[in-house]
Amino acid sequence: MFCKTIFKQTLNQNWKLWMIFTIIPTIMSMLIITVYDPKMVQGMMNMIQNVPGVGDILGDRIETMSSLLAMLGENFYMLPGYILPLIYVIMTANSLIASQVDRGSMAYILSTPIKRTKVVRTQAFYLITAIFCTFLVITTFGFVAVQAKHNALWGQAYTADVKAASTVLNFDNDTVANDLTLILNNQDAVRAGAKARGIDDDVYIVYLGLKMSAAEESAAPTEQAKEMQEKLMSGIVAAADALDMEAADLTTDMSKIKGNSHAMAAAVKASGLPQELFTAFINRQLATDEITFDKGVDFSVKGYLMINLGAFLMFFAISSISFLFSCVFNLTKNSLALGAGIPIAFFIFHLMSQFGSSLENLKYLSLNTLFAAHEIVIDGVYIPQFIALAVIGSVLYLVGIKVFKEKDLPL
Amino acid sequence: MPYIEISGIKKDYGDGRGNFDLNLSIERGEVFGFVGTNGAGKTTLIRQMMGFLRPEDGSIKINGLDSWEDSAELKRYIGYVPGEIAFPDAPSGTVFLRRQAELLGLKDMSRADEIINKLQLDPTANLKRMSKGMKQKTAIVAAFMADFDILILDEPTTGLDPLMRREFVEILNEEKKKGKTIFMSSHMFEEVEHTCDKVALIKEGRIIAVKDTLEIRHNTKKVYKIEFSSAEDYKLFITEAFDFSEQREDYQQVIVKINDTDINRFFSVLKNYHMKFLTEIKYSLEQYFKNLYSLTGENQGGKSDVL
Repeated sequence: MFCKTIFKQTLNQNWKLWMIFTIIPTIMSMLIITVYDPKMVQGMMNMIQNVPGVGDILGDRIETMSSLLAMLGENFYMLPGYILPLIYVIMTANSLIASQVDRGSMAYILSTPIKRTKVVRTQAFYLITAIFCTFLVITTFGFVAVQAKHNALWGQAYTADVKAASTVLNFDNDTVANDLTLILNNQDAVRAGAKARGIDDDVYIVYLGLKMSAAEESAAPTEQAKEMQEKLMSGIVAAADALDMEAADLTTDMSKIKGNSHAMAAAVKASGLPQELFTAFINRQLATDEITFDKGVDFSVKGYLMINLGAFLMFFAISSISFLFSCVFNLTKNSLALGAGIPIAFFIFHLMSQFGSSLENLKYLSLNTLFAAHEIVIDGVYIPQFIALAVIGSVLYLVGIKVFKEKDLPL
Repeated sequence: MPYIEISGIKKDYGDGRGNFDLNLSIERGEVFGFVGTNGAGKTTLIRQMMGFLRPEDGSIKINGLDSWEDSAELKRYIGYVPGEIAFPDAPSGTVFLRRQAELLGLKDMSRADEIINKLQLDPTANLKRMSKGMKQKTAIVAAFMADFDILILDEPTTGLDPLMRREFVEILNEEKKKGKTIFMSSHMFEEVEHTCDKVALIKEGRIIAVKDTLEIRHNTKKVYKIEFSSAEDYKLFITEAFDFSEQREDYQQVIVKINDTDINRFFSVLKNYHMKFLTEIKYSLEQYFKNLYSLTGENQGGKSDVL
């Protein structure tokens, strides 16, 4: 089926390029995962939701736009995680066949008793393996980053505060996590837990309370709560003025209001609420943020794997285009014109389709649409698209192999 | 059955380029030369023999195997020097040769080392910075190292200096002694005349003639040019019973054809004359083909100065 010797030699000639185009996107993906701060994103989302009307329009999407998976799927795999592997695929597909025919060096491989079909199959296999390994590396190191920074894979049952509190209480993590009242009943445990989370003691108490009554939390905000929310917002805006900050920045760190009496006074005045009530609201808001923070890093392993599988399949299909034209043409310039031109056109169409509804139909002109990152994030329908990518890729690779086997070579 | 049989091969690239209805048969152990100008279709035929191009018509059988269908199998017997030297990416000649040996399944590099020594090649040099001659030598080593039964060489001496050319001819003669069948193209008559048993001339994709070089080297009809010291001698000599092909009265020169059987009579007659000089006009392959060319040239409307 494949020729080990050719595979080894191809690997020898190509591994450096592969390293470069794998290491860079891997580092970028790790960076995006590491700098992802659910608190900040949540704060921004709160702001957006509170703008009258906008929250209703976005609805459920808020949830999916703010998750780490969404950040990766709709940002990383659409730009750096797409362009760098694409450059690699274009360069390699061309150099595996067309450029060797163009230069004439293919004559040496084909003057050995290795069948043409076997040569071209081995080259195709190399390209597919290289792409697979690229995404394998990106995925693996992505997991490493997710675990190292967000503890999202293992030990997520015990948040930092539970661990700190259980040390103080001298219980094991499990017991404490299952009965948070143990913390509430112990002053030192509360202090340790709050410190571990980096929040005030009183906010922490509210957080624990919310956490224990999480089930009873009403989903739809009542009229009264909405009114409160509005008052609270005007208070925050006033406090931001007093602190000379952007309101958006302040929402991500509302504890600042509590620490500054000047800001607190402005906020109380603007909101028209008594100070205790306002503080209680802030505490509650902060505690809710903590809870969503816990949820935010609630990272779907399956979703992440699917995103990467999708990216691999997309590149399997795209590389089949570049490979096909590398097999068809004897000249590098022709092979590149189509083998690079078409995937780049797909990229541009896909990008433009996201600019607005008038351009949305362009997405039907792009293979990249089948990657369906958004569908994966919301756990929607994406398997048929994956199958389509796999079929397109397989067919084009087979056609390329057949063409190369039959054609005249100027060697 | 001939070892290599080319029958009715055709590849039309348009504009009269390609080759048309080529027929050749090459016996085992024969060294076969294939001569023609640039663009005459030499490389096209070699690519067809190597199974890189599919013939539009006709077939090439090498040792009973089809050059297109059984191309991979045939490479177990064939060493090949391409007309255009472009190596795969490799840091040095040594690495390239080692990789090539791997692909050929060749373990023993002693023949490679032998040829490297003969050609005075330094294979450790950077492959990309090699001179044309060095690259050609490397390509020759790659084709000869596996000791294949058939060698197909597309203008193998391009870029070699005269000294190395001689070395190369020596290597060819060695291979010939081992009973190898060699098919080599060239645009130089001299080269093929001295190395090949048979030479085919190709022009515009068609074979003009196939000639045994032995016939040329052992030609019994010699041609001599004589210049006499005086006009009297000249005038007297042309009355003798010889086959004069040319008489130049102004120079007092004659060109005379003498068969080897007649040589003694020729010299005894000459004893009575005063000559300025006597030279033999060597009959060469080039001349033979030139004659053919001008003949076919006349047929095709006076295109006689192709060579």
